[in-house]
Amino acid sequence: MRVKPILFGVVVVIVFMSVVVISQAAGYWSTSGKVTTSGELVNPSADDVETIKGWMTLNQISDTYAVPLSEILWEFSLPDTTSGDTAIKDLESETFEVTLLREWLVSRMNGEKPALTTPLPMELSPQPSATPTSVTTISGTPQVTGEITVTHIAPENTITGKTTFQELIDWGLDMDVIESIIGTPFPGGEIIIKDYVTGLGMEFSPVKTALQGELDKTR
Amino acid sequence: MNSQSPNISVLESIKKLIKKYNLNHQTLRRLVQLCFAAFIIITVVRHIVIGEDGPVITASAEAYCPFGGLETLYKYLTSGGAFVSHTHLSNVVLFIAVIVTAILLRSAFCGWICPLGSLQDLVSGISKAIQKRLPKLKKGLQSIKRNAPWLSTMDRVLKFGKYIVLIWAIGGSAYFGYMVFRDYDPWSALINIAEFSFTPGLIVLLLTILLSLFVERPWCRYACPLGAISGLAGKLSPVYLKREESACTLCQVCTKACPMGIEVHKAKTIQSVDCISCLECVGACPRKGALEIHVGYTGRNSIGGENAS
Repeated sequence: MRVKPILFGVVVVIVFMSVVVISQAAGYWSTSGKVTTSGELVNPSADDVETIKGWMTLNQISDTYAVPLSEILWEFSLPDTTSGDTAIKDLESETFEVTLLREWLVSRMNGEKPALTTPLPMELSPQPSATPTSVTTISGTPQVTGEITVTHIAPENTITGKTTFQELIDWGLDMDVIESIIGTPFPGGEIIIKDYVTGLGMEFSPVKTALQGELDKTR
Repeated sequence: MNSQSPNISVLESIKKLIKKYNLNHQTLRRLVQLCFAAFIIITVVRHIVIGEDGPVITASAEAYCPFGGLETLYKYLTSGGAFVSHTHLSNVVLFIAVIVTAILLRSAFCGWICPLGSLQDLVSGISKAIQKRLPKLKKGLQSIKRNAPWLSTMDRVLKFGKYIVLIWAIGGSAYFGYMVFRDYDPWSALINIAEFSFTPGLIVLLLTILLSLFVERPWCRYACPLGAISGLAGKLSPVYLKREESACTLCQVCTKACPMGIEVHKAKTIQSVDCISCLECVGACPRKGALEIHVGYTGRNSIGGENAS
Protein backbone atom coordinates (compact mmCIF):
# COMPACT_ATOMS: atom_id res chain seq x y z
CA MET A 1 0.00 0.00 0.00
CA ARG A 2 1.33 3.43 -0.95
CA VAL A 3 1.10 6.41 1.41
CA LYS A 4 1.23 10.08 0.47
CA PRO A 5 4.18 11.87 2.12
CA ILE A 6 1.98 14.59 3.62
CA LEU A 7 -0.33 11.99 5.14
CA PHE A 8 2.72 10.25 6.60
CA GLY A 9 3.68 13.50 8.33
CA VAL A 10 0.20 13.98 9.77
CA VAL A 11 0.20 10.37 11.06
CA VAL A 12 3.61 10.90 12.73
CA VAL A 13 2.25 13.82 14.75
CA ILE A 14 -1.00 12.01 15.57
CA VAL A 15 0.75 8.82 16.76
CA PHE A 16 3.31 10.66 18.90
CA MET A 17 0.82 13.04 20.47
CA SER A 18 -1.74 10.26 21.01
CA VAL A 19 0.62 8.42 23.35
CA VAL A 20 1.17 11.62 25.32
CA VAL A 21 -2.52 12.60 25.45
CA ILE A 22 -3.65 9.09 26.40
CA SER A 23 -1.06 8.98 29.19
CA GLN A 24 -2.20 12.36 30.47
CA ALA A 25 -5.84 11.30 30.36
CA ALA A 26 -4.96 8.13 32.28
CA GLY A 27 -3.22 10.22 34.95
CA TYR A 28 0.13 8.81 33.97
CA TRP A 29 1.94 12.11 33.50
CA SER A 30 3.98 14.41 35.67
CA THR A 31 6.64 16.94 34.75
CA SER A 32 7.68 17.82 38.25
CA GLY A 33 8.37 16.04 41.51
CA LYS A 34 6.46 18.84 43.21
CA VAL A 35 3.06 17.76 41.93
CA THR A 36 1.25 14.46 41.85
CA THR A 37 0.06 12.85 38.62
CA SER A 38 -3.28 14.54 39.26
CA GLY A 39 -1.59 17.91 39.43
CA GLU A 40 -1.90 18.42 43.18
CA LEU A 41 0.97 19.84 45.19
CA VAL A 42 2.99 17.13 46.91
CA ASN A 43 3.00 17.65 50.66
CA PRO A 44 5.10 15.82 53.22
CA SER A 45 3.40 13.02 55.12
CA ALA A 46 2.72 13.72 58.76
CA ASP A 47 3.68 10.12 59.57
CA ASP A 48 6.93 10.01 57.62
CA VAL A 49 9.55 12.74 57.81
CA GLU A 50 11.45 11.06 54.97
CA THR A 51 8.86 12.53 52.62
CA ILE A 52 10.26 16.02 53.31
CA LYS A 53 12.06 17.32 50.23
CA GLY A 54 14.40 20.25 49.81
CA TRP A 55 11.99 22.19 47.59
CA MET A 56 9.24 22.11 50.22
CA THR A 57 8.57 25.36 52.04
CA LEU A 58 8.75 26.12 55.73
CA ASN A 59 4.99 26.70 55.70
CA GLN A 60 4.41 23.17 54.38
CA ILE A 61 6.50 21.76 57.22
CA SER A 62 4.79 24.01 59.75
CA ASP A 63 1.30 22.99 58.60
CA THR A 64 1.96 19.26 58.23
CA TYR A 65 3.77 18.72 61.53
CA ALA A 66 1.87 21.38 63.48
CA VAL A 67 5.03 23.23 64.40
CA PRO A 68 4.86 27.02 64.60
CA LEU A 69 7.05 28.63 61.98
CA SER A 70 8.73 30.76 64.62
CA GLU A 71 9.82 27.61 66.46
CA ILE A 72 11.50 26.23 63.35
CA LEU A 73 13.25 29.54 62.76
CA TRP A 74 14.39 29.73 66.35
CA GLU A 75 15.54 26.13 66.51
CA PHE A 76 17.74 26.43 63.46
CA SER A 77 18.90 29.99 64.08
CA LEU A 78 17.24 31.26 60.95
CA PRO A 79 16.46 34.97 60.67
CA ASP A 80 13.06 35.68 62.15
CA THR A 81 12.20 37.60 59.00
CA THR A 82 12.45 34.42 56.94
CA SER A 83 9.34 33.94 54.84
CA GLY A 84 7.33 30.80 55.35
CA ASP A 85 7.27 30.40 51.58
CA THR A 86 11.03 29.90 51.45
CA ALA A 87 12.16 26.49 50.23
CA ILE A 88 14.21 24.48 52.71
CA LYS A 89 17.06 23.97 50.27
CA ASP A 90 17.47 27.73 49.94
CA LEU A 91 18.19 27.95 53.64
CA GLU A 92 20.73 25.15 53.78
CA SER A 93 23.75 25.85 55.94
CA GLU A 94 25.83 24.04 58.54
CA THR A 95 23.00 24.30 61.02
CA PHE A 96 20.05 23.72 58.75
CA GLU A 97 19.42 21.06 56.22
CA VAL A 98 16.70 18.57 55.36
CA THR A 99 18.26 15.75 57.39
CA LEU A 100 18.63 17.87 60.52
CA LEU A 101 15.06 19.08 60.14
CA ARG A 102 13.81 15.50 59.85
CA GLU A 103 15.77 14.41 62.95
CA TRP A 104 14.49 17.36 64.92
CA LEU A 105 10.89 16.72 63.91
CA VAL A 106 11.16 13.06 64.88
CA SER A 107 12.57 13.91 68.30
CA ARG A 108 9.90 16.56 68.73
CA MET A 109 7.13 14.13 67.81
CA ASN A 110 8.55 11.60 70.27
CA GLY A 111 8.20 14.15 73.01
CA GLU A 112 11.94 14.63 73.45
CA LYS A 113 13.18 18.06 74.30
CA PRO A 114 14.67 19.33 71.09
CA ALA A 115 18.31 20.08 71.45
CA LEU A 116 19.65 23.31 70.13
CA THR A 117 21.92 22.59 67.24
CA THR A 118 25.47 23.68 67.92
CA PRO A 119 27.72 25.31 66.92
CA LEU A 120 25.71 28.17 65.58
CA PRO A 121 27.35 30.46 63.08
CA MET A 122 25.25 33.40 64.13
CA GLU A 123 25.59 36.69 65.82
CA LEU A 124 23.40 37.61 68.71
CA SER A 125 24.03 41.28 68.99
CA PRO A 126 21.92 44.38 69.11
CA GLN A 127 21.87 46.16 65.79
CA PRO A 128 20.81 49.75 66.09
CA SER A 129 20.25 50.15 62.39
CA ALA A 130 17.85 47.27 62.21
CA THR A 131 14.38 47.31 63.65
CA PRO A 132 14.51 45.26 66.82
CA THR A 133 12.15 42.34 66.77
CA SER A 134 10.97 40.25 69.59
CA VAL A 135 11.59 36.53 69.31
CA THR A 136 8.53 34.53 70.13
CA THR A 137 9.09 32.17 73.01
CA ILE A 138 7.59 28.76 72.84
CA SER A 139 7.17 26.31 75.65
CA GLY A 140 9.40 23.29 75.34
CA THR A 141 12.17 25.19 73.66
CA PRO A 142 15.02 27.09 75.23
CA GLN A 143 13.78 30.45 76.42
CA VAL A 144 15.21 33.56 74.91
CA THR A 145 14.12 36.82 76.35
CA GLY A 146 14.80 40.37 75.42
CA GLU A 147 14.92 42.05 72.12
CA ILE A 148 17.52 40.68 69.78
CA THR A 149 18.13 40.56 66.09
CA VAL A 150 19.18 37.21 64.76
CA THR A 151 21.50 37.54 61.83
CA HIS A 152 22.29 34.36 60.03
CA ILE A 153 25.69 34.13 58.46
CA ALA A 154 25.95 31.61 55.68
CA PRO A 155 29.39 30.05 56.04
CA GLU A 156 31.66 29.78 53.06
CA ASN A 157 32.79 26.43 51.64
CA THR A 158 29.68 24.73 52.91
CA ILE A 159 28.51 21.58 51.21
CA THR A 160 24.88 21.68 50.11
CA GLY A 161 22.70 19.54 47.91
CA LYS A 162 24.00 21.38 44.87
CA THR A 163 27.74 21.15 45.54
CA THR A 164 29.81 19.37 42.90
CA PHE A 165 32.97 17.32 43.40
CA GLN A 166 34.89 20.00 41.50
CA GLU A 167 33.95 22.55 44.15
CA LEU A 168 35.43 20.29 46.84
CA ILE A 169 38.68 20.16 44.87
CA ASP A 170 38.57 23.94 44.40
CA TRP A 171 38.07 24.39 48.13
CA GLY A 172 41.27 22.44 48.74
CA LEU A 173 40.10 18.91 49.51
CA ASP A 174 42.35 16.13 48.22
CA MET A 175 40.94 13.66 45.74
CA ASP A 176 42.20 10.76 47.92
CA VAL A 177 40.21 12.04 50.88
CA ILE A 178 37.06 12.33 48.77
CA GLU A 179 37.55 8.81 47.40
CA SER A 180 38.06 7.34 50.86
CA ILE A 181 34.83 8.95 52.10
CA ILE A 182 32.61 8.04 49.15
CA GLY A 183 34.25 4.64 48.82
CA THR A 184 34.53 4.78 45.03
CA PRO A 185 37.03 6.23 42.54
CA PHE A 186 36.63 9.97 41.91
CA PRO A 187 33.52 10.13 39.72
CA GLY A 188 34.23 13.41 37.90
CA GLY A 189 34.24 17.08 38.81
CA GLU A 190 30.95 18.16 37.27
CA ILE A 191 28.87 15.59 39.14
CA ILE A 192 26.70 16.82 41.99
CA ILE A 193 27.74 15.02 45.18
CA LYS A 194 24.18 14.48 46.38
CA ASP A 195 23.05 12.97 43.06
CA TYR A 196 26.03 10.65 43.03
CA VAL A 197 25.76 9.50 46.61
CA THR A 198 22.01 8.94 46.56
CA GLY A 199 22.43 7.20 43.21
CA LEU A 200 24.68 4.69 44.95
CA GLY A 201 21.91 4.06 47.45
CA MET A 202 23.73 5.85 50.28
CA GLU A 203 22.41 8.54 52.62
CA PHE A 204 23.68 11.97 51.67
CA SER A 205 23.85 13.35 55.20
CA PRO A 206 26.66 11.18 56.69
CA VAL A 207 28.76 11.59 53.55
CA LYS A 208 28.18 15.32 53.63
CA THR A 209 29.12 15.49 57.32
CA ALA A 210 32.32 13.54 56.70
CA LEU A 211 33.29 15.67 53.71
CA GLN A 212 32.42 18.87 55.58
CA GLY A 213 34.57 17.71 58.49
CA GLU A 214 37.55 17.18 56.19
CA LEU A 215 36.84 20.49 54.50
CA ASP A 216 36.81 22.30 57.83
CA LYS A 217 40.25 20.86 58.62
CA THR A 218 41.67 22.51 55.51
CA ARG A 219 40.57 25.99 56.61
CA MET B 1 -29.09 19.16 5.64
CA ASN B 2 -25.42 18.20 5.47
CA SER B 3 -25.11 14.41 5.37
CA GLN B 4 -21.31 14.42 5.79
CA SER B 5 -19.89 13.25 9.11
CA PRO B 6 -17.78 15.79 11.07
CA ASN B 7 -14.59 13.75 10.47
CA ILE B 8 -15.02 13.84 6.71
CA SER B 9 -15.72 17.59 6.86
CA VAL B 10 -12.49 18.13 8.81
CA LEU B 11 -10.52 16.04 6.32
CA GLU B 12 -12.07 17.96 3.44
CA SER B 13 -11.15 21.25 5.12
CA ILE B 14 -7.57 20.05 5.62
CA LYS B 15 -7.39 18.99 1.97
CA LYS B 16 -8.69 22.41 0.86
CA LEU B 17 -6.13 24.16 3.06
CA ILE B 18 -3.33 22.00 1.67
CA LYS B 19 -4.44 22.79 -1.88
CA LYS B 20 -4.96 26.49 -1.19
CA TYR B 21 -1.53 27.06 0.34
CA ASN B 22 0.20 24.45 -1.84
CA LEU B 23 1.39 22.72 1.36
CA ASN B 24 3.75 19.84 0.70
CA HIS B 25 5.25 17.37 3.17
CA GLN B 26 8.51 19.32 3.41
CA THR B 27 6.69 22.49 4.47
CA LEU B 28 4.63 20.46 6.93
CA ARG B 29 7.80 18.92 8.38
CA ARG B 30 9.33 22.34 8.93
CA LEU B 31 6.12 23.53 10.58
CA VAL B 32 5.99 20.53 12.90
CA GLN B 33 9.68 20.95 13.81
CA LEU B 34 9.08 24.65 14.45
CA CYS B 35 6.10 23.96 16.73
CA PHE B 36 7.98 21.45 18.90
CA ALA B 37 11.07 23.68 19.04
CA ALA B 38 8.88 26.67 20.00
CA PHE B 39 7.29 24.62 22.78
CA ILE B 40 10.71 23.78 24.22
CA ILE B 41 11.90 27.41 23.92
CA ILE B 42 8.76 28.64 25.73
CA THR B 43 9.26 25.98 28.44
CA VAL B 44 12.90 26.98 28.95
CA VAL B 45 12.11 30.72 29.08
CA ARG B 46 9.15 30.18 31.41
CA HIS B 47 11.27 28.08 33.75
CA ILE B 48 13.99 30.74 33.81
CA VAL B 49 11.60 33.69 34.28
CA ILE B 50 9.33 32.13 36.90
CA GLY B 51 12.01 29.97 38.50
CA GLU B 52 11.66 26.93 40.71
CA ASP B 53 10.21 28.83 43.63
CA GLY B 54 7.78 31.00 41.72
CA PRO B 55 4.04 31.29 42.33
CA VAL B 56 3.36 28.49 39.84
CA ILE B 57 5.24 25.26 39.30
CA THR B 58 7.09 25.34 36.01
CA ALA B 59 8.40 22.21 34.38
CA SER B 60 12.03 22.10 33.36
CA ALA B 61 12.63 21.36 29.67
CA GLU B 62 14.49 18.28 30.87
CA ALA B 63 11.11 16.84 31.82
CA TYR B 64 10.37 16.67 28.08
CA CYS B 65 13.47 14.70 27.07
CA PRO B 66 12.54 11.20 25.87
CA PHE B 67 16.06 9.91 26.42
CA GLY B 68 15.75 10.76 30.13
CA GLY B 69 12.92 8.22 30.12
CA LEU B 70 15.24 5.50 28.89
CA GLU B 71 17.94 6.45 31.39
CA THR B 72 15.53 6.33 34.31
CA LEU B 73 13.62 3.27 33.12
CA TYR B 74 15.80 0.72 34.93
CA LYS B 75 15.48 2.51 38.28
CA TYR B 76 11.78 3.16 37.68
CA LEU B 77 11.08 -0.53 37.07
CA THR B 78 13.36 -1.96 39.76
CA SER B 79 12.58 0.49 42.56
CA GLY B 80 8.81 0.57 42.18
CA GLY B 81 8.40 4.00 40.66
CA ALA B 82 11.44 6.02 41.74
CA PHE B 83 13.29 8.16 39.22
CA VAL B 84 16.91 9.15 38.84
CA SER B 85 17.52 12.85 39.44
CA HIS B 86 16.19 15.29 36.83
CA THR B 87 13.65 12.83 35.41
CA HIS B 88 9.92 12.43 35.87
CA LEU B 89 7.01 10.36 34.62
CA SER B 90 6.82 12.59 31.52
CA ASN B 91 10.26 11.38 30.42
CA VAL B 92 9.10 7.77 30.53
CA VAL B 93 5.90 8.58 28.61
CA LEU B 94 7.81 10.48 25.92
CA PHE B 95 10.28 7.65 25.56
CA ILE B 96 7.37 5.24 25.06
CA ALA B 97 5.92 7.69 22.49
CA VAL B 98 9.23 7.67 20.58
CA ILE B 99 9.37 3.86 20.57
CA VAL B 100 5.70 3.49 19.53
CA THR B 101 6.30 6.01 16.72
CA ALA B 102 9.42 4.09 15.65
CA ILE B 103 7.68 0.71 15.66
CA LEU B 104 4.92 2.12 13.46
CA LEU B 105 6.73 4.74 11.39
CA ARG B 106 10.47 4.19 11.77
CA SER B 107 12.60 6.97 13.30
CA ALA B 108 10.10 9.62 12.30
CA PHE B 109 10.55 11.28 15.70
CA CYS B 110 14.11 12.19 14.69
CA GLY B 111 13.11 13.57 11.31
CA TRP B 112 9.90 15.34 12.26
CA ILE B 113 9.91 16.23 15.95
CA CYS B 114 13.33 16.23 17.68
CA PRO B 115 14.35 19.88 18.33
CA LEU B 116 18.06 19.00 18.39
CA GLY B 117 17.63 17.55 14.90
CA SER B 118 15.81 20.74 13.89
CA LEU B 119 18.73 22.83 15.18
CA GLN B 120 21.16 20.81 13.07
CA ASP B 121 18.85 21.18 10.06
CA LEU B 122 18.80 24.93 10.64
CA VAL B 123 22.61 25.19 10.80
CA SER B 124 22.99 23.01 7.69
CA GLY B 125 20.39 25.18 5.93
CA ILE B 126 22.42 28.30 6.78
CA SER B 127 25.57 26.57 5.50
CA LYS B 128 23.84 25.66 2.22
CA ALA B 129 22.62 29.24 1.80
CA ILE B 130 26.17 30.53 2.35
CA GLN B 131 27.55 28.00 -0.15
CA LYS B 132 24.94 29.10 -2.66
CA ARG B 133 26.19 32.68 -2.37
CA LEU B 134 29.82 31.58 -2.43
CA PRO B 135 30.16 29.05 -5.27
CA LYS B 136 33.91 28.79 -4.78
CA LEU B 137 33.40 27.58 -1.23
CA LYS B 138 30.85 25.05 -2.44
CA LYS B 139 33.20 23.75 -5.13
CA GLY B 140 36.04 23.54 -2.64
CA LEU B 141 33.99 21.46 -0.21
CA GLN B 142 32.76 19.20 -3.00
CA SER B 143 36.33 18.76 -4.19
CA ILE B 144 37.44 17.70 -0.71
CA LYS B 145 34.64 15.13 -0.58
CA ARG B 146 35.57 13.77 -4.03
CA ASN B 147 39.29 13.55 -3.36
CA ALA B 148 39.06 12.05 0.12
CA PRO B 149 37.35 8.68 -0.13
CA TRP B 150 38.45 7.92 3.43
CA LEU B 151 35.82 10.42 4.54
CA SER B 152 33.01 8.09 3.50
CA THR B 153 34.77 5.16 5.17
CA MET B 154 35.09 7.22 8.33
CA ASP B 155 31.42 8.16 8.06
CA ARG B 156 30.41 4.50 7.93
CA VAL B 157 32.62 3.56 10.89
CA LEU B 158 31.59 6.54 13.04
CA LYS B 159 27.92 5.64 12.59
CA PHE B 160 28.48 2.78 15.06
CA GLY B 161 29.45 5.34 17.69
CA LYS B 162 25.84 5.95 18.65
CA TYR B 163 25.45 2.34 19.81
CA ILE B 164 28.47 2.69 22.09
CA VAL B 165 26.98 5.89 23.52
CA LEU B 166 23.66 4.06 23.98
CA ILE B 167 25.25 1.18 25.92
CA TRP B 168 27.27 3.58 28.07
CA ALA B 169 24.29 5.83 28.84
CA ILE B 170 21.86 3.03 29.74
CA GLY B 171 24.42 0.81 31.49
CA GLY B 172 25.93 3.71 33.42
CA SER B 173 22.56 5.00 34.60
CA ALA B 174 21.47 1.52 35.69
CA TYR B 175 24.74 0.81 37.48
CA PHE B 176 25.40 4.15 39.16
CA GLY B 177 21.80 5.31 39.61
CA TYR B 178 22.31 8.74 38.10
CA MET B 179 22.48 10.02 34.54
CA VAL B 180 26.12 9.49 33.53
CA PHE B 181 25.35 10.84 30.06
CA ARG B 182 23.80 14.11 31.24
CA ASP B 183 27.04 16.07 31.51
CA TYR B 184 27.98 15.09 27.96
CA ASP B 185 24.53 15.56 26.47
CA PRO B 186 24.39 18.51 24.03
CA TRP B 187 20.61 18.72 24.47
CA SER B 188 20.96 19.07 28.23
CA ALA B 189 23.63 21.73 27.69
CA LEU B 190 21.36 23.63 25.31
CA ILE B 191 18.27 23.72 27.52
CA ASN B 192 20.37 24.62 30.57
CA ILE B 193 22.42 27.23 28.72
CA ALA B 194 21.10 29.99 30.98
CA GLU B 195 22.98 28.40 33.89
CA PHE B 196 26.24 29.32 32.14
CA SER B 197 27.81 26.03 33.20
CA PHE B 198 30.86 24.98 31.24
CA THR B 199 30.22 21.28 30.84
CA PRO B 200 31.53 18.69 28.37
CA GLY B 201 28.00 18.76 26.94
CA LEU B 202 28.49 22.38 25.94
CA ILE B 203 31.64 21.43 24.03
CA VAL B 204 29.73 18.59 22.32
CA LEU B 205 26.94 21.05 21.47
CA LEU B 206 29.34 23.58 19.95
CA LEU B 207 31.10 20.80 18.07
CA THR B 208 27.75 19.55 16.75
CA ILE B 209 26.80 23.03 15.54
CA LEU B 210 30.22 23.51 13.93
CA LEU B 211 30.13 20.11 12.22
CA SER B 212 26.58 20.76 10.98
CA LEU B 213 28.08 23.39 8.69
CA PHE B 214 29.88 20.62 6.77
CA VAL B 215 28.02 17.38 7.56
CA GLU B 216 24.25 17.17 7.92
CA ARG B 217 22.96 15.95 11.28
CA PRO B 218 26.36 14.92 12.75
CA TRP B 219 24.94 14.23 16.22
CA CYS B 220 22.16 12.04 14.78
CA ARG B 221 24.57 10.17 12.51
CA TYR B 222 27.35 9.41 14.96
CA ALA B 223 26.38 9.84 18.58
CA CYS B 224 22.66 10.11 19.37
CA PRO B 225 21.69 7.21 21.67
CA LEU B 226 17.98 7.96 21.28
CA GLY B 227 18.32 7.77 17.49
CA ALA B 228 20.18 4.48 17.91
CA ILE B 229 17.40 2.82 19.89
CA SER B 230 14.71 4.42 17.73
CA GLY B 231 16.42 3.09 14.60
CA LEU B 232 16.57 -0.40 16.05
CA ALA B 233 12.88 -0.29 17.06
CA GLY B 234 12.12 0.98 13.55
CA LYS B 235 13.26 -2.34 12.13
CA LEU B 236 9.86 -3.66 13.24
CA SER B 237 8.00 -0.99 11.29
CA PRO B 238 5.92 -1.95 8.26
CA VAL B 239 6.79 1.39 6.62
CA TYR B 240 9.56 1.54 4.05
CA LEU B 241 10.64 3.56 1.03
CA LYS B 242 10.65 1.92 -2.38
CA ARG B 243 12.67 3.06 -5.36
CA GLU B 244 10.88 2.16 -8.60
CA GLU B 245 13.68 1.24 -10.98
CA SER B 246 11.56 1.70 -14.09
CA ALA B 247 10.91 5.33 -13.18
CA CYS B 248 14.35 6.15 -11.69
CA THR B 249 16.96 7.87 -13.85
CA LEU B 250 19.78 7.35 -11.30
CA CYS B 251 20.30 11.11 -11.08
CA GLN B 252 21.38 10.66 -7.42
CA VAL B 253 19.42 13.71 -6.29
CA CYS B 254 17.83 11.56 -3.58
CA THR B 255 21.22 10.49 -2.19
CA LYS B 256 22.44 14.10 -2.17
CA ALA B 257 19.27 15.17 -0.36
CA CYS B 258 19.53 12.54 2.39
CA PRO B 259 20.75 14.22 5.60
CA MET B 260 21.84 10.87 7.01
CA GLY B 261 24.11 9.98 4.10
CA ILE B 262 22.14 6.93 2.91
CA GLU B 263 22.84 5.94 -0.70
CA VAL B 264 19.19 5.94 -1.70
CA HIS B 265 19.84 5.68 -5.45
CA LYS B 266 21.58 2.33 -5.05
CA ALA B 267 18.77 0.69 -3.08
CA LYS B 268 15.53 -0.91 -4.09
CA THR B 269 13.96 -0.47 -0.67
CA ILE B 270 15.22 1.79 2.07
CA GLN B 271 14.98 0.13 5.47
CA SER B 272 18.16 1.52 7.01
CA VAL B 273 18.36 1.96 10.79
CA ASP B 274 19.84 5.37 10.01
CA CYS B 275 16.78 6.53 8.03
CA ILE B 276 14.96 9.26 9.98
CA SER B 277 11.89 9.27 7.70
CA CYS B 278 12.37 12.94 6.89
CA LEU B 279 11.32 12.20 3.28
CA GLU B 280 13.81 14.72 1.89
CA CYS B 281 14.70 12.13 -0.77
CA VAL B 282 11.05 11.78 -1.79
CA GLY B 283 10.67 15.55 -1.99
CA ALA B 284 13.87 15.98 -3.99
CA CYS B 285 13.11 13.24 -6.53
CA PRO B 286 12.30 14.85 -9.90
CA ARG B 287 10.51 11.76 -11.26
CA LYS B 288 6.97 11.12 -10.12
CA GLY B 289 6.54 7.63 -8.72
CA ALA B 290 10.26 6.84 -8.62
CA LEU B 291 10.46 7.02 -4.82
CA GLU B 292 7.41 6.29 -2.69
CA ILE B 293 6.41 5.35 0.84
CA HIS B 294 4.99 1.86 1.17
CA VAL B 295 3.34 0.07 4.06
CA GLY B 296 3.40 -3.68 4.49
CA TYR B 297 5.61 -6.57 5.43
CA THR B 298 5.14 -8.52 2.23
CA GLY B 299 7.02 -7.41 -0.83
CA ARG B 300 9.74 -5.27 0.72
CA ASN B 301 12.19 -8.16 1.04
CA SER B 302 11.04 -10.10 -2.01
CA ILE B 303 12.36 -7.45 -4.36
CA GLY B 304 15.68 -8.49 -5.77
CA GLY B 305 18.80 -6.41 -5.51
CA GLU B 306 20.36 -4.38 -2.74
CA ASN B 307 18.43 -2.92 0.15
CA ALA B 308 19.70 0.06 2.08
CA SER B 309 19.35 -1.47 5.51
